[in-house]
Amino acid sequence: MYLTSEEERIYDGEYGWANQICMKILVRLGELFNASRLIPISSAHVSGVSYKTLGDAPIEFLKALCNAKVQVKAEATLNPKSVDPEYLCKKLPEKLCKKQNEILGYFEKMGFADSLTCTPYYLKKIERNSHLAWAESSAVVYANSVIGAWTNREGGPSALAAAIIGKTPNYGIHRSENRRPKILVKIEKTLQDEVEFGALGTFLGDVLKDDVPVIQNIKSASKDQLKQLGAALASTGMVNMFYMEDVRVKKSELEQINVEPKDIAQTVEKLTTASVKKPDLVYVGCPHCSLDEIKQIAELIENKKVKNGIQFWVCTSRHIKKQARKDVEKIERCGGHIITDTCAVVTWTDKLGIKTIMTNSAKTAHYAPTLNKAETILAPLNECVETALQG
Amino acid sequence: MQSITLKGKGIVEGYCKGEALVSKSPISFLGGVDPADGKIVERNHDLCGECVKDKIFCFPYGHGSTVGSYVLYSLAKRKLSPKAIINQTADPVVVVGAIIANIPMIAEIDITRIETGDMLEIDAYKGIVKILGRKESS
Repeated sequence: MYLTSEEERIYDGEYGWANQICMKILVRLGELFNASRLIPISSAHVSGVSYKTLGDAPIEFLKALCNAKVQVKAEATLNPKSVDPEYLCKKLPEKLCKKQNEILGYFEKMGFADSLTCTPYYLKKIERNSHLAWAESSAVVYANSVIGAWTNREGGPSALAAAIIGKTPNYGIHRSENRRPKILVKIEKTLQDEVEFGALGTFLGDVLKDDVPVIQNIKSASKDQLKQLGAALASTGMVNMFYMEDVRVKKSELEQINVEPKDIAQTVEKLTTASVKKPDLVYVGCPHCSLDEIKQIAELIENKKVKNGIQFWVCTSRHIKKQARKDVEKIERCGGHIITDTCAVVTWTDKLGIKTIMTNSAKTAHYAPTLNKAETILAPLNECVETALQG
Repeated sequence: MQSITLKGKGIVEGYCKGEALVSKSPISFLGGVDPADGKIVERNHDLCGECVKDKIFCFPYGHGSTVGSYVLYSLAKRKLSPKAIINQTADPVVVVGAIIANIPMIAEIDITRIETGDMLEIDAYKGIVKILGRKESS
């Protein structure tokens, strides 16, 4: 791999241990995947912020980096942490919140923005064709497929290294030859709602391995539906991008998969594990809600009351919450909780006594049985809100 | 026995001698190895209950969460890490873990040639693994 003389000096340790180790991570990964050089990134997004998913393992490493006084060299954002500042922090043990604050403190000292969201693309416009080093898998698929930016699916540590160096090795999806579609996905029905888009993603993730698909019949989908599709795709598979039909490619050269209505129906069914439709928590906001989604929820719930014994969470970023103030007030007046900086998957719902989660997110339905030790009910937004109100 | 030399690719520089601990199955460091004592805790793993401390840890490849890289760093800080890592295929989680924990690592080695208990000498500058001796099977 070619390194500039400046990069070589960092690699040799002239700029200290922390820069050296970050450079070494990028170079070794680059060599592993046949990169030819490092390229500048316009932003890095780091996963592995929640103390629930991290545990104690990274604390010492983050502390050591911090003590070495390194600073990020690209715009750098963070994935959700395990608590929010208003609601969950008062309900969960103080010890856990303290550990979480310690972790966040190290990131902030290195210059990371406390964005604390899995949807960094709502914070600032991401340019088409810009190179990124993002580690949140749902955001990676969204960036590559919906925005048209270029990012590999980084791990937490490699995105951290990229943030500190400001560069990433040019392998994988940073090369146009690896962005070529391989498979044509024909869908024999028009998908109705975000749950069906999520189910399609869950189903395809399993069968596609890492082949880039062109998916037919989804051109009229909303960005929020595509967000659900991408998040689910990344939770069951290694695909980092998809195309809608507008890509220039000879369809005859592609392998073909047909998705039948029963594949979607069976996937939706499988993602519901609870036998009775009685959730303790109705959860919307995986990935974090857009302005549009908050507005829809506010319209559905306005002037009604969340039923006693059910919690209704809407998770989003601080950034979106601020912009949606009026809708946020409407939802909160009805007894819903707008929760920022975290989400149901990366907080300790089990410690809050939540045993059944109803959600419109196929990604959450996929992870909650293991990560939350909870039963799941997967249903579209209007049914979720209905259940929160009526039980 | 005569010593056997295996040639692979050096990933993290270093040189050491030690006893091999060989796993037939891949390992996830997050959830698979306890950072408090270095023992393998992944249920149904062929080495469940074994400790990686000071061993030359040979396994096909790593899998699972990228937080696993930090587990290797934690083990090293507590002096519970393997002396070296030998893999069939290098994967990003283990590569990054070995770099930050400064554990010599070699990949692209046919680890089926190595048995648990073998005395190994590894040169991770050159990517060479020497099997110096094997315990007599009883």
